[in-house]
Amino acid sequence: MYALIDGGAMPAIKTIIMLAVACVLLYLAIVKKFEPLLLLPIAFGMLLTNLPMLKDSSAIMMHTEYFTDPQYMIMENGHSQIDVGMIAREGGLLDLLYLGVKLGIYPPLIFVGIGCMTDFGPLIANPKSILLGAAAQFGVFFTFVGALVLSAMFPSISFGVKEAASIGIIGGADGPTAIYVTKSLAPALLPAIAVAAYSYMALIPIIQPPFMKLMTTKKARSVVMDQLRPVSKTEKILFPIVVTIVVGLIIPDAVSLVGCLMLGNLMKESGVVDRLVKTAQNELMNIITIFLGVTVGATATAESFLSAQTLGIIVLGLVAFCFSTIGGLLLGDLMYVLSKGKVNPLIGSAGVSAVPMAARVSQIVGQKENPSNFLLMHAMGPNVAGVIGSAVAAGVFLSMFNGL
Amino acid sequence: MQYSEALISGQNLPMSEALSTGGITTLVGLAIVFGVLVILMIVLCLFKVFFYKEPAKKAAPAAAPAEPAAPAPAAEAEADIEDEEELIAVLTAAVAASLNTSTYNLQIKSYRRVPNKRPAWNNAGLRETIGNRI
Repeated sequence: MYALIDGGAMPAIKTIIMLAVACVLLYLAIVKKFEPLLLLPIAFGMLLTNLPMLKDSSAIMMHTEYFTDPQYMIMENGHSQIDVGMIAREGGLLDLLYLGVKLGIYPPLIFVGIGCMTDFGPLIANPKSILLGAAAQFGVFFTFVGALVLSAMFPSISFGVKEAASIGIIGGADGPTAIYVTKSLAPALLPAIAVAAYSYMALIPIIQPPFMKLMTTKKARSVVMDQLRPVSKTEKILFPIVVTIVVGLIIPDAVSLVGCLMLGNLMKESGVVDRLVKTAQNELMNIITIFLGVTVGATATAESFLSAQTLGIIVLGLVAFCFSTIGGLLLGDLMYVLSKGKVNPLIGSAGVSAVPMAARVSQIVGQKENPSNFLLMHAMGPNVAGVIGSAVAAGVFLSMFNGL
Repeated sequence: MQYSEALISGQNLPMSEALSTGGITTLVGLAIVFGVLVILMIVLCLFKVFFYKEPAKKAAPAAAPAEPAAPAPAAEAEADIEDEEELIAVLTAAVAASLNTSTYNLQIKSYRRVPNKRPAWNNAGLRETIGNRI
């Protein structure tokens, strides 16, 4: 019986389950339109890597063991490093593309494109809203504790501080940031965390509204906020430069993400490099998205994906999203009280970064209370602040735990 | 800060250690995140002091792009000539689009605001359409 499980039927069943998971994700991406731009490549990568006929053949496209198994790595200063030379010689297509994830190339490049598409104007016009972007990182840290507690409670789940940090960052609701942290701290959990992060981001319109109604009063929800002041071009150009310097001084580990975000934004706001902006936000970003999605999906082998840990990550990811929403709303409520009813607390939930989905949710929930209320632009402030906030939280985790 | 073997591997992790490390990390982490963003907030407030001058007259059209795209936008009587030209251009384009013709075939001679007499149902429908598109 043991031999059967060990060598015979069990791997076959696991492979079938993985193929089924891949097909379900493809269904969610194609029919339900759950973040299809990423979920579709991720799901197809999962399909490619779990094809049974490729096992042990030379046609195999992805060797996850090259990136996680110490046996295939080289030791350097007491830390095992991936052997780039061997991967280049023997790796398949997806191995080579995965180097971009492993070496931390893709997420910052995606941030250049996101920077090109982001308008920080609403944030500059209403500086207080940046605090909501910080409050919404509450879920990140709460989930960090939650993962450690879960690990202490169940012997079958073992999340150390690095794994806990990678899971917590799901609450930042920012895919590239989550991938960037996870590839450094807990590469084995990458597929589960990426799938959880992108699926929950797609579910934000379902996850957030119940908390938004629960944590705000009807009167507060119908507050119409003052129109934002116009923001000059000088301010918009100075903003990315100043943010990069400030973040770089305090938390250098966040610079590769924040710096790239601000590079993209500066290219856009300066208005002198239109060609570069077009490339960064279209072609470059699309190419990277394909590489990133398909390779992250390809790391989801049956051995790494089908475990109690994945289940834990899916639960904790939801917890992270909920508590990030709650954190933002709590500060929103506080601002409502302190401003004597001038701030609509609904914009707080937009502090989770998922741009612009979270801001849309604020707008829609607000409009249900007061049909002539337009919160979208007010919610964009906390929304883009959330991107900076979660990148800073990522930097905090990296500086604390990287190299342990 | 030193982390024990149990904290790094996650195996046989005592609950007390999980809670204490988690709590400290949460406090330090949130403090840093808030610290960085508070500094940025102060910088942005300085931006306002240095770069923003209260407009002398009441004409600030650049903000709030989320206005509903009603077919006949409101016209402010005291708007500048330039604003008026822009408004007429918008009206011409709107009429051309609804008549399915070119703007060259149209000439706006005058315009006035029509009071909103739409039934509540139509308003609800309009809101829903806008809501679906944002």
